Amino acid sequence: MLILSLNMKLMKTKTIVSILTFLLAISFVNGQELLDILDKEHKDTLRFTEATFKYSRITYGQSVQTRKSGTLDVSANIRFWNTPEERSQSFFVDRLNTRFALEYGISDRLLLGVGGSTFDERFDGFIKYKLIRQGVSSGSPVTVSLFQNASYFSDALPYSSPGRMSSNRLSFTSQILIAKKITSDFSLQIAPTFVHRGLVFNDNDPQNHFAIGFGGRYKLGGHVSLVSEYYYVANPIKSFDTYGPFSLGINWELSDVMLQFMLTNAVSMVEDAFITQTRNNFNFKNPNLNFGFNFTYTIHFKNKLKGKR
Amino acid sequence: MHKFILVIMLSFLSIQKDSGKIIARQGNVSFFSYTPVENIKAENNQVLSIVDLKNNKIAVSILMNAFVFEKALMREHFNESYIESDIYPKATFEGKIIDFDPSMKGVQTRMIKGDFSMHGSNKELEIKAKIEKQNDVFVITGSFEAVVEDYDIKIPPLLRGNIAKIINVDFKFEYEAYEN
Repeated sequence: MLILSLNMKLMKTKTIVSILTFLLAISFVNGQELLDILDKEHKDTLRFTEATFKYSRITYGQSVQTRKSGTLDVSANIRFWNTPEERSQSFFVDRLNTRFALEYGISDRLLLGVGGSTFDERFDGFIKYKLIRQGVSSGSPVTVSLFQNASYFSDALPYSSPGRMSSNRLSFTSQILIAKKITSDFSLQIAPTFVHRGLVFNDNDPQNHFAIGFGGRYKLGGHVSLVSEYYYVANPIKSFDTYGPFSLGINWELSDVMLQFMLTNAVSMVEDAFITQTRNNFNFKNPNLNFGFNFTYTIHFKNKLKGKR
Repeated sequence: MHKFILVIMLSFLSIQKDSGKIIARQGNVSFFSYTPVENIKAENNQVLSIVDLKNNKIAVSILMNAFVFEKALMREHFNESYIESDIYPKATFEGKIIDFDPSMKGVQTRMIKGDFSMHGSNKELEIKAKIEKQNDVFVITGSFEAVVEDYDIKIPPLLRGNIAKIINVDFKFEYEAYEN
């Protein structure tokens, strides 16, 4: 005010006034915007999106997600379905397939897992590595993970069956999982897949399959999300009818427990089997529709606060 | 007359050069939630704070996803389900240190009054803080209580026993001169 009144006294031109107001404005901005200065300081740190999916599987298939280092997931995955017989005695549980699995995060990017299924008697092991992480506002636009599994088909086969030798009972699945967290609520995934089957019962059937998987997650609330997934096989088995596995499910998290409920036509929970050998279509006729349930308990072996100081 | 204008301009410029501000780039903020079911503890060592010594104004900016928890899952749930750090990445505080004398050496205890904004909600806070000056280094330490309900954070009924209604927050900032 003093400056302005002095200025008036001097009766000088408008230019001086405008210069002074400009300078005043600079000093005003300079003094006011402390938070803006801090915002500029923040910008240097590159951040990555978390939780594109909430678990290493969307429903039955793999997601880009690996687990944090030092966490062990103990899970029981169960599928129930009815046989087509009319005089079924049980409600939805004529047959069931259970897969018990252990998955351990070696690092934040590397996940190892082993599992065994009861119904189709497959034992499987896998390794998944998160290659590229999606950045927040800058950095990579997508998350990319590489997945490789091996599964051993241990079911007894007839004496004359060509697959009795154990050397070709191993199947392999390789996937490139590409996912994007589009908004905080919505994630999409696309997964080019290569399957090598160990046992081929008919000479007309291909041993190697190419498939592509699609998956999505929509967050309904803080702890609940809607998930769905589908696989398309480019060169399916010819000797019997197969269908692309489809699922629609709900993920529900309660502190250390993760519950996944789903409706699906995939009986198996091992990649090579559900991608190439799903024999039912997705509809409400028995035995096509399965009710699936994954229960996962997470144990933390590392206290992240320790050793931080 | 022209000299007069020149003097004014120079004085403004000199103010700009000497920022008169101090900044803490590795400030520490930790919080604790004690319940009979479980104790939750988290720590963030990358908190930014700045103080303007001319008008005693203070600002703090906290990146929510930089909090480290004992369990990795807690961190994910904190960011995904409670704080929603995708939508609200930062918590900020903007206020004034009442009766703060930057030239005073040693320890002074002062009230800091201002607005704390987290998860899209604003809350006026009055925090008692200890300010220590050694040479040109200022250290501000203190603690306050945050009521979960004030910040519109939804906790599902099943987990209500796991998270305290009032969270204790501790902070420590070490400031150095800020040059822009």
